[in-house]
Parts: sequence; C-alpha cells; structure tokens
Amino acid sequence: MSTATSIRPRTRSAAAKDERHPQRWLAWAFLAPTVVGMGLFTLLPIVASLALAFFRWDIISPPTFVGFDNFAEVVQDPTVRVSFLNTIMFVIVAVALQLGVALALAIMVQEKLPAWLRVFFRSAFFFPLILSAASVSIFMRYLFNEQFGVVNWLLSFVGIPAVPWLTTPGGSAAVVILVYVWQNFGFSFLLFIGGLASIPNETYEAAALDGATGLRKHLHVTLPLLSPTTLVASVMAIINALQVFDQPYVLTRGGPGDSTRTAVMVIFESAFQRLEFGQASAIGVILTIIILAITAAQLRLSKRFVFYQ
Amino acid sequence: MPGSDGKLREITRRTALGALGLGIIGATTASWPRLTGMDIPGRGDSSLSIAIMGTAADAAARQRVIDAFSKVHPEIRVKVQAIQAVDWKDFFTKILTMVAAGTPPDVVYVATEGAQLFADKLAHPLDEYLRRDAADMKEYFADVHPSLVEAFMYKGSLFQLPIDWNAANMYYNTGSLRSAGLERPADNWTHTDFRATLAAMRKANTSDFTPYYWTNRLFGGVVPWLYANDTSFLKETKSTGGDWLWTTFYANDPSRSLRSGGYQWLEPNATDPRVFESFDYLRGLVKDGLGVRPEEGGGSSLVGLFASGRIGTTPAGGYWVQGLNEAGMTEDGFDVQFFPRWRTQRHQFGTAGYAIMKTAKDKDAAWEWVKFSASLDAMRLVFTTPNTTPSRRSMVNEQLYAGKGPRHWKVFYDTLDRFPTTGPIPAPPQQAAVETALMKNVSLAVSGDEAQLKQALESMQRDLELALRRQA
Repeated sequence: MSTATSIRPRTRSAAAKDERHPQRWLAWAFLAPTVVGMGLFTLLPIVASLALAFFRWDIISPPTFVGFDNFAEVVQDPTVRVSFLNTIMFVIVAVALQLGVALALAIMVQEKLPAWLRVFFRSAFFFPLILSAASVSIFMRYLFNEQFGVVNWLLSFVGIPAVPWLTTPGGSAAVVILVYVWQNFGFSFLLFIGGLASIPNETYEAAALDGATGLRKHLHVTLPLLSPTTLVASVMAIINALQVFDQPYVLTRGGPGDSTRTAVMVIFESAFQRLEFGQASAIGVILTIIILAITAAQLRLSKRFVFYQ
Repeated sequence: MPGSDGKLREITRRTALGALGLGIIGATTASWPRLTGMDIPGRGDSSLSIAIMGTAADAAARQRVIDAFSKVHPEIRVKVQAIQAVDWKDFFTKILTMVAAGTPPDVVYVATEGAQLFADKLAHPLDEYLRRDAADMKEYFADVHPSLVEAFMYKGSLFQLPIDWNAANMYYNTGSLRSAGLERPADNWTHTDFRATLAAMRKANTSDFTPYYWTNRLFGGVVPWLYANDTSFLKETKSTGGDWLWTTFYANDPSRSLRSGGYQWLEPNATDPRVFESFDYLRGLVKDGLGVRPEEGGGSSLVGLFASGRIGTTPAGGYWVQGLNEAGMTEDGFDVQFFPRWRTQRHQFGTAGYAIMKTAKDKDAAWEWVKFSASLDAMRLVFTTPNTTPSRRSMVNEQLYAGKGPRHWKVFYDTLDRFPTTGPIPAPPQQAAVETALMKNVSLAVSGDEAQLKQALESMQRDLELALRRQA
C-alpha cells in the first residue's frame, strides 16, 4: 500500500506535467492577443502620458523636459480649477439623479408592470445608452434652442416664456445634466433590475408579516439588500461622470463662460487646441488620481454601508 | 466531411488551431495596408497628398481639377484627402493629429483662422516660387484684391494664394423688410439705422420671428461690430517686410500704401472702451428682443431658419447663396447689403487657400498644384455654384448668381473696393485658444446687466492674456 502510494503521485505528476505544458502554451496563445492589446493600447499610453506630463511638447517641436512645471501651471490656471469644480458638482448632481431615477424606475418596472411590459421597458430605458452621445447632444441642442426649440415651444402653451437654456450658466448646466442622465441612467437601471430580481420573495413576505409595506418595505428591505448593487452602480456612475465630455462639448462648448467646462474638456483643449500636450497629460494625471481616490474611498466606505445576504 | 469509413472526420484541436492560424495570417495580410497606414493617400508612393476640409463627395468634386492638373503635369500624381470637421478649428486639430502621427499631408487648404498657425509652425513660404514665376503670376494678382493677399502675409512672407473668401455682409429677408414698410437700406446705413430696422421688423412680425440672428464665433459674431466701431478684442498691428510682393504685383493699386508684411495680434484689447461700447450695443439688442442671445459655435440651422422667414437679418458672406437657394428661397426672397457703419465701415472677412507644408516631400510639385489651383481654368472648374466667393474679381459676376440672387451680389466684391481697410478674422498662431477666450465670454457679456458685461470683458482680457502669453 505504501509502495503504491509512493509511486502514484510521481506517475500523476509526470502525466500532469505532460498534459499541462501544451495547455499552458494554449492558454498563453489565447491570452496573447488581449495581453498584447492591453499592453499596446492601455498600459503603454498610460505610461507615456505619465511621462509626457513632465515635458513641454507641441507635436511639431521635440519635447523638452520641464520637471513639475506643467503641474504647477495647471494648478494655477483658473480655467482648470473651475473645470474641476464643475466636474465635481456635475458628478454629485448627475450621479445622484442617475441612481435615483434608475432605482425608482427599476422598482416600478419590477413591481408594478406585467412581465411582457417589463421586457419592453428594460430595452426602452437602455436604448439611449447605445446612441452616440454626440448625435444625441446635437439633437438636444435643437430641442433646447431658445428661439426655435421644441421645448420652449411646448412651454409656451402653458404660458412659460422662452427659457435661455443654453445661453445662461444655470440653464446650460441643467441641460447638460439632463441630457447626460437621460442617456446614462439605463445602465444603472439594468443593474438595479438584476439586483431586485435576486432579492428572495420570502424576505418581503417576512417583512410584510412584521408590518413593513410600501415605502418602509423599500427603506428597510430593498435598499439594504440592494446595497452591493448600489455600490457597483455608484462606482461605475462616478467614474463615468468624472470623465464627462461629449454632452457639454457639443451642447455648450463649455460655456457660457466656463460654467459647463469639465476636466476632460480642458484636457482636450490643452492638447488639441493649444498644443500643450504636457499640460494636458498633467491634467489627465490629476484626474486619474482623483478618480482612484474617490473609488478607494467608496470601497472603504462600502464596508460600513453594504450588506451581503 | 465524410471519411473513408463514412463517418464525419473529427476536427482535431491541431486542425482547428491550424485553421485559426491560417485565418489570422490571411486577415493580417489582407489588412496590411490599413494596419501599416500604407493606404493613407500619398503615403508609400510619390503622390502629392492634399488635405481639404469636407466629405468624400467634396474630394470627388475636386476630381475635375485633378484631371485638368494631370494634363498639364502628367509627372505629378495627386491624391486629395477630405477630412470631415465641424469647423476650421476642428479641421486644424485633425491635421495636427496627422502631423503627430507622422503622416502629414503635403498641401493643406487652410482658412484665415489657421493661416498664422500654419505660417508660424507648419507651412513653407511661397516667396521663392513667386519671385521665380512672377511673370506667370501677374495675371492672378491683377484679378485678386490685395486685402485678401495681405491676410496670408506673415512676417513679410506670403504663405498662401487666396482661392475663395467671404466678408461679413448683412443679409436681410426682403419679405420681412417689406412687411415692416421699409425699403432696402442705404449703402452707408449706420448701426442706429440698423437698430431702427430691427425694431420695425419686430413690430411687424409674429413673436417667434427673430429680427437679428448672430452666432458666437470668430467670423460673423461680435467681430464685425468691433471692426465697424474701429476696434477689436485684440490689438492689431502690422509687421514690416513684403515690399517686394507689393512692388512686383500691386505697384499701381490705389491701396498700395496700406499694405504690409502681414497682420499681428500680440496683445489683448478687450477692456478698450470701444469694445465695451460695441458689446453694450449688442446687449441692448438682446435685451430688447431684437437679437438672439448667441449660442457658442451655433449657426448650423441658420440657413433653414432664414429660408423659412423666421429671421430678419444676419451677417454672412457669399457662401450662403447656394444654401438659401437649395432651401427654397427665390432670388427676390433675400438680398445683401454692406455691414452697417459705426465709426468706420470696415468689414471683417475670411479667406482660404493652399499652404505647402514644411514637410512636403516635393515642394516644387506642391507649388505647381498651388499655382494651378489659383489659375482661372482651375477656379472655373471648382466654383460652379455660389457656395463661396471666388477670390478672382472676374469670377464674381452675373453668371455666378443668375437665377439664385441676391439682386445686389456686387456688394460681395465691392466690400473690398469700397472699404480697403477691411481686415481678416483676427487669428494669431494661437487662434484656437484666442477663439475659446472670446467665445466663452460673449454670451455672458450680452446676457446680463452692465456690471456683468464689464466683468465678462475683464475675464476675456485675462483669458486672452493667458492665450497670447502661451503663444510667446
């Protein structure tokens, strides 16, 4: 018995070695395109843009090393500061709206609608997400035109005078947020639908026996049990919102003044309009650090507020 | 596939991997020109690569010119690459991206907005070629107004030959004017006459009618009003040099003494009292419902709105005629007049022409293209409809506007003759940053009270200082 035991592992090991080698080779062969692609198109640009942040480069002349000058200039630039503040404000309002609308609609669709209508609304609410943000923004720009837009035309029927949507700071910020939320809430909506479906009916039945119905049921049962989904949805929504570009760029070009200028818009303007690629990279590095910090904070806080069944 | 025993032959892993490998090799081979960028026009062969702003249809429209050029220069192969862009700023961004990618075109069609950016960093001066071919070029310069040429002078050298151009004249809807009981405005109408015209139009039309529609951009926005008020948001000076060109080609021109080595915009001027006065005038138009609050970069829907009779007046150039015609306007439905007079009646214009890149493989061949494109034969092939104003005076004629209007099409070229100080769009090498600094403050400047206007102009001054300092 002991002999057999001492032989068997060796035999297995030798056989496994023979079998594993080609499998390892195969695994690498399948992984290679992704690894090479990630290396070339994700890792290399990240490293290159990090390095570029320490150079002054206008595409045309050779780059010159400037140390931390780009960071110093960026921090002192009032437009950059305003754009970061705008971005933070945008994230707070847009993400709150996006998650709020998505959750409310998910509960409504999941609870109140028959199965065939649920399928329809799942697709309908997701549909804006597959549209090009630039096309949607061009279209919305027409809708919200002060003189000739459909929105003001409709408002005129209820006696509301023409609203300068895109030419006042408040109006333009509202439209940018509205268009962004309309286009993006569908993703969070789908996550919440999935989360809601995973909550067992027994839990609601038990809660109902304890007298929890209506809003209380959702506050004390749905929201806590949905917290892992909310965490994922909020992390993704915040990361996306911090990178908002298309909607403000097409709708308002960042104006009036700097009222809707965002961090990524300033990166684009620095690089491709002012030809200051070093400064653009420096802003990009700062934005990345902010995104990492916020995400880390969210994950840390999640230990307190996220409940797993 | 059945085997000898009648069973389907098993596809082994080795066969599958082999097929996959062959597939990858085949796909890579087939797409090799794309992967390596060899299919980029002019790359990998000796063709002259020419970039224009537009669609593939615009590139195809150039084919007749390419064919004509090939007859004259069979040894030079030409490829035109159309680059789609929202505006000139966007187009230049894409050209710069091509430069960064190591695939710059040899020749680029550049408008005033980017003329100094190209002259300063990317383009090759035409001086040596013009001196060499002066005899051939005399006919061209005799047909082109010197104001247009001066717009392409930079630090004493000429970088482009103007091919087309447009001034910010004032278009008006004849029906709206008539309904207000007004006649065609006088050639020397003033900014106060203009305001009275708008007020009369406002009174005579429905509430959804806009007497004055204007856009927030470098051309046709606030700048024509600044020029008419003898000021600008940038201090305008001129550089020395270029005498050889004026002496050679414009020795007898009445405006010869005005000509220079090119425009310079080195300092901001947004806090000039006349700038305030001009903005305040526009603020008044907005406040009284005579003019729109301009959106940033707006104007894409303007032709349709004007053609539908919902706009009374707007500043635009000859490029608008074809669009209005296609939108259904008859030649009597609209007309054009000079921009209103204030302290002066100096107009704003923009022009465009081909620039040879410093990196061009064969600059002599590029020059032949530039020279040919400026010839009467080539321009006749390009400008068959009034969708811009040709730089050659002889081509701005009855025939071009026949059946399309406007009745007073002569206003287009007369703008240069009647007002020889008429100047180009103020666009230093940092045009993009300067345009952003202007645009972002215009809406605020004309939307609030006097204090907000003052604040917006101070902000514009700061932004311009920053933009121009970066330039230095």
